[in-house]
Amino acid sequence: MKASLFAAMGYSKRATFPSTWPVSPVHADPKTSVQSYREGMDECELAEEVGFDWVSFSEHHYSGRIPTGTPAVMASAVAERCKRIKIALLGHLLPLNNPVRVAEELALLDNLTDGRLVAGFLRGTPNEDQVYTMNPAEGRGRLHEGMDLILKALTEPEPFSWEGRYYQFRTVAVWPRLVQQPLPQVIVGTRSDDTIRYAADHRLGLGVSFLPVEQTAAITDKYHAWCEEAGWSPGPDDIVYRASIYVAETDELAHKWFEGLMKSRPGPNIPLRRTVSEAIESARTGNAFDLRGVVAGSPEGDVVGNSLGINFIGGPDTVASQIKEFHDRCGVGVMDLLIQQNQVDHKAVMKEIELFGKEVIPQIREF
Amino acid sequence: MEFQEKQVEAGGFSVRYWEAGQGRPVIMLDRTGGRETALHDALAEKYQVFSLELPGTGDSPANTASESISDLAVVAATAAAALTSERYTLIGSSFGANVALQQAIQSPEQVEALILISPTSIHPQDSPAADTLSDAHLAMFAHAENAGKYPIISAETFAKESELMRRLNFGVHDSETEARLGDIHCPTLAVFGQEDRLVSSQAPRVYREKIPNCNIALVYDAGHCIIGDRPEALLNTVLDYAEHWETFIVGHQSGLINP
Repeated sequence: MKASLFAAMGYSKRATFPSTWPVSPVHADPKTSVQSYREGMDECELAEEVGFDWVSFSEHHYSGRIPTGTPAVMASAVAERCKRIKIALLGHLLPLNNPVRVAEELALLDNLTDGRLVAGFLRGTPNEDQVYTMNPAEGRGRLHEGMDLILKALTEPEPFSWEGRYYQFRTVAVWPRLVQQPLPQVIVGTRSDDTIRYAADHRLGLGVSFLPVEQTAAITDKYHAWCEEAGWSPGPDDIVYRASIYVAETDELAHKWFEGLMKSRPGPNIPLRRTVSEAIESARTGNAFDLRGVVAGSPEGDVVGNSLGINFIGGPDTVASQIKEFHDRCGVGVMDLLIQQNQVDHKAVMKEIELFGKEVIPQIREF
Repeated sequence: MEFQEKQVEAGGFSVRYWEAGQGRPVIMLDRTGGRETALHDALAEKYQVFSLELPGTGDSPANTASESISDLAVVAATAAAALTSERYTLIGSSFGANVALQQAIQSPEQVEALILISPTSIHPQDSPAADTLSDAHLAMFAHAENAGKYPIISAETFAKESELMRRLNFGVHDSETEARLGDIHCPTLAVFGQEDRLVSSQAPRVYREKIPNCNIALVYDAGHCIIGDRPEALLNTVLDYAEHWETFIVGHQSGLINP
């Protein structure tokens, strides 16, 4: 099994933000953000040193928690500092982006890294639907057409015209050509049946994030079955699980930290107004939504969102066994780890990366 | 859309208003009580619109009774309560927006949603070279050619309104209102032209920071009179917000090119 560091590049004072999304840019101090990105890149370098196989980047907007709205820019900076590790873009939020531009970014990154790119496509969390005023009802259609277009743009050697439902380009001719032929490894991040089926049918990898093991297994079971129907078997690197982790020297120390975290009453990870959350959900599902039936309130009082959850917590042996369960039950071959919890500072993150490299990676290599 | 002219008694004034349309009520407070804009027509396609002529503006008699914006807000709220028993969307432009802001603070039980178009209560600034009626008119627009398309009010109306606005401190930063912005809990949209010469560019963020449920819309290439410079953009923004309130940030338009 392989280990990947999810390079969140969090703003170091992220724990002080108000419980809303978007987070007003007034909270961003340039000196602090410059230092935070440097620290994030130091974490990537250390991850490479201690044996991580991938470092991953993710497109998130309008907050300092994962402030990489343009993940390819961040990835290219890290790629210059890390010379061996795979650079995994997990990934672009396709419904928000021009697919041809995404294809060009991926092709350039594959060249800059001399073939170390892993590409990832996903739709994104509901809050991200607001970023470029994309209609949430069209997110899935845009994701599927975008994936088709990018794969074509990265592999077609002659200029072509694309006459899509959501995209129309009268000439596409992406430069440079990929180093990894015919394609780098591509991961589709999803929980939805039709997109799992898309990944299986197109012989692409699958990414699942933050779900408990049983729910993850329900998804990967479908994926395996549909891959078999499509006439192939996914390899060990084809199933990536992104998880939130806190690892300490012992179980006792890890749980002591978690108790302290709970006492600080952390807010939801992606808090939205209830009205906005329901409007997006309604558009995504096609269900009716009565705006005036939702009680309005203060932005602090009526937000909704997932409460803080940690997938893996404990000492090295404990987290190794927790990770093994995902390997054994779900066939996960790459574990992509978010170590930058809100309340964990840079020094502590570095300590965790080192500990994970020394004590956990040797164990999960055996899975 | 045909607006019907009517009158309602409120706060010692006989307030003239224009009514059109069916649906949820919308109360509009305009600088001169004018209702002949594309915004009024578009709103009346979906809502029951009452466009109030604030006493002392437009063709109404000089208003020597009102001592403050708050006084006018009481008149507007009284008139609105006489016109509809339902909670309403309140829309004000410029001077009317300042009155609407006060009305939302003073009569929160009446106001379901608030739309402020070019309000000047917070951080107004002196418009350059606005000594004459013609200069004042020109200063309202980002582009002189748009000013030419819009009728200039008469010198008499200008003098009457100027006197009222001076007395009510129009164009002076209203720190008391700023201190009470946190009392507005209804969905609120504040719309500003990017080229508005009558308001500091620092003003919009104050509404966003202090009103709990407030969105800011900045209209590119528009001055203080947004309806004059960018009518389509203003209509799109205001109609979308009136329908969707704060969820107007969620995309509603289709990007489908060919099904």
